[in-house]
Amino acid sequence: MKKIFLVLALMVVVVAVFGVEEITFWHTYSTNSGEYKLLTEKIIPEFEKLHPDIKVVETQVNYDDMRQRLIVSTATGELADVIRMDIIWVPQFGDIEVLLPLNKAFPNEFNKLKDQFLPGPLSTCYWNGNYYGLPLDTNTRVLLWNKKLFEEAGLDGPPETMEEFVNDIKLLTKDKDGDGQTDQWGYADYGLGPWNSIPWIYSFGGYILDPTNSKAEGYVNSDESIKALETFKDLYYDGYIADTVVGGGGIGTFEGYAEDVYAMIIAGPWSWPIIKGQYPDAEINFALFPAGKGGSKSVVGGEDIVISAFSEHKEAAWEFAKYMTSYEVQKAFVEVSQMPVRKDLVEDPIIQNHPYFHTFMKQLETAVARSPHPGWNQINDIMDLAWQNAIVADYNPDFALWEAAMDIEEVLSEFE
Amino acid sequence: MKREVRRKWAGFLFVLPGLLSYLIWTLYPIIKSFLMSLYKWNINPRIPNEFVGLSNYVKLFHDDKFYTALINTLKYVIVTVPGQMIIGLLIAVLLTRGLKGQTFFRLLYYLPVITSWVVVSVLFQYLFATRGGLVNYLLKDLLHLINRDIRWLAQENTAMIPIYVLGIWKGIGWSMLIFLAGLQGIPKQLYEAARIDGANGWMLLRKITIPMLRPVIAFQTVMLTIGGFNVFLSVYVITGGGPRNSTQVLSSYMFKEAFDYFHFGYGAAIAVIFFLIVFTIAQIQRKLFKREIY
Repeated sequence: MKKIFLVLALMVVVVAVFGVEEITFWHTYSTNSGEYKLLTEKIIPEFEKLHPDIKVVETQVNYDDMRQRLIVSTATGELADVIRMDIIWVPQFGDIEVLLPLNKAFPNEFNKLKDQFLPGPLSTCYWNGNYYGLPLDTNTRVLLWNKKLFEEAGLDGPPETMEEFVNDIKLLTKDKDGDGQTDQWGYADYGLGPWNSIPWIYSFGGYILDPTNSKAEGYVNSDESIKALETFKDLYYDGYIADTVVGGGGIGTFEGYAEDVYAMIIAGPWSWPIIKGQYPDAEINFALFPAGKGGSKSVVGGEDIVISAFSEHKEAAWEFAKYMTSYEVQKAFVEVSQMPVRKDLVEDPIIQNHPYFHTFMKQLETAVARSPHPGWNQINDIMDLAWQNAIVADYNPDFALWEAAMDIEEVLSEFE
Repeated sequence: MKREVRRKWAGFLFVLPGLLSYLIWTLYPIIKSFLMSLYKWNINPRIPNEFVGLSNYVKLFHDDKFYTALINTLKYVIVTVPGQMIIGLLIAVLLTRGLKGQTFFRLLYYLPVITSWVVVSVLFQYLFATRGGLVNYLLKDLLHLINRDIRWLAQENTAMIPIYVLGIWKGIGWSMLIFLAGLQGIPKQLYEAARIDGANGWMLLRKITIPMLRPVIAFQTVMLTIGGFNVFLSVYVITGGGPRNSTQVLSSYMFKEAFDYFHFGYGAAIAVIFFLIVFTIAQIQRKLFKREIY
């Protein structure tokens, strides 16, 4: 009997010393993408070579199913050790203590690493004194302008200021076949939520929340924020902005841009492969979003890499998270069109020589993150509704935004 | 005596699987939802939930968005339940006339029932698109009924229409199938006798077919009403509740509160009220249809 125990005890010790620690990694890289191929064929195997004691088991989840999966797994306490998560979810899951605060768990290392990241993407991990992740990849939206339509209208280049922008939008809207209905629009987008409206609001010099994310009144309804909405509303009412912004259906922004229906659209870096995939001959021209009183500002998108607070392999998970944000890995991902989050890659030739990343990287220098706040989903819907109220239901812009201010204040008070 | 006992046990064992699944998958979630609705519920099991009594319900009764969602859901039921049944009945009657290729048409009308909600919702989004949508093309360019494209999904007063049309279109097949089964059960002699008495087609339908189908109609009304209250995917995909929450229904609003905003207690309160409404309506309908007339 004693012998058996001894053997068992020995086995436990052996596994603990020489055993391989397994960590799970959930991500939303689509399985037919170059990113997925790189991750599974190169990045993970190399990590395992560097850390023979750690094995990474990756699971691909469709973006549309990820949120559901995270919620269900939170309830059952069965989250993956490491997760690549949409930046706007991080504060929400951090707030319910599902994610590991990295600045508390690994204070020395975290503080050393922190400054290597671009500030916009890094800010998306922050909530209430804690950093709940490391930025992993980023993106933003820039202006796409149709050179052919610009030349037809006698314009020689993309608008650089807000005044030029508004002017060009009007010049580029036409009824080509003379049936009394517009068939070419100056500008198109596919919604009125903050993802769509932030470039307008912030370039006009407006805000949604104050810099500390604790106040809305006087910011979301500042004169500049109102002016942005007013300008957009007037353009829409006079027929210069396509109906797609209010969900009217019709030709999508990418297709419309390639088919010379929309002279200007605003889009992320993925527009390039999507448009080129459907219209290989389309000419795509990127430009910074036109600068207003607030400069040229756009909106930050992307993903963070987070560690589950439930994880039993936090150290191994941290090693993997650090590796994924390292110079080599970030650089490798650039080649499969993932934009890096590290400062030391901005000036790197790999970005500078990339066919279109440089405009996006330039735009990122000033891009605004959607306020990292656990109530963001509610704030997002309030902003969306306020813009819809003004644009669909003809509310006065300053009243619509005053209402939004009141509603956002109520959301903010929920988290005090 | 012993045999009696054994038979009882056997009976019990036969219903046991059904009973268990009912207890686990139906009764337990209902009770759990009710309990959740009394808390500020946190999905992280390590964080204790804060008991808030009935305050979720108090908030709910003052919530304009809840009433909008409730009214939209009721409207959806009122429009789509009769819509499906009337068209379903007409098609069923036509398909019992002995037309050529009857089976083929039955299959054709049933096809929408088994297609995916998500796929057909996306399809309807295209059909009702302002520019280049098939519906506007038909109305404007082919039939000349309108002279400007209708902005179906962009206006509050028209955004619900595509969702109604989808609901009816997708449900006709099921209604037709149940009516077909019901029609088989009506004795032929009744029609023959009525014809001898000089009844025309319309009178046959009104005085024989519809009264004889009463139990089928009752069954369909209850089932389709419950189904109608559960409308979700078409709204979620086609409009997402917009523009300006004008197409928000109970289930989409509940989903938003719970899964987007993490207000799980509040979402559970919506679910409980939702359950009570559907349960009450189904009971009333059952009572109303209980009176037999033949």
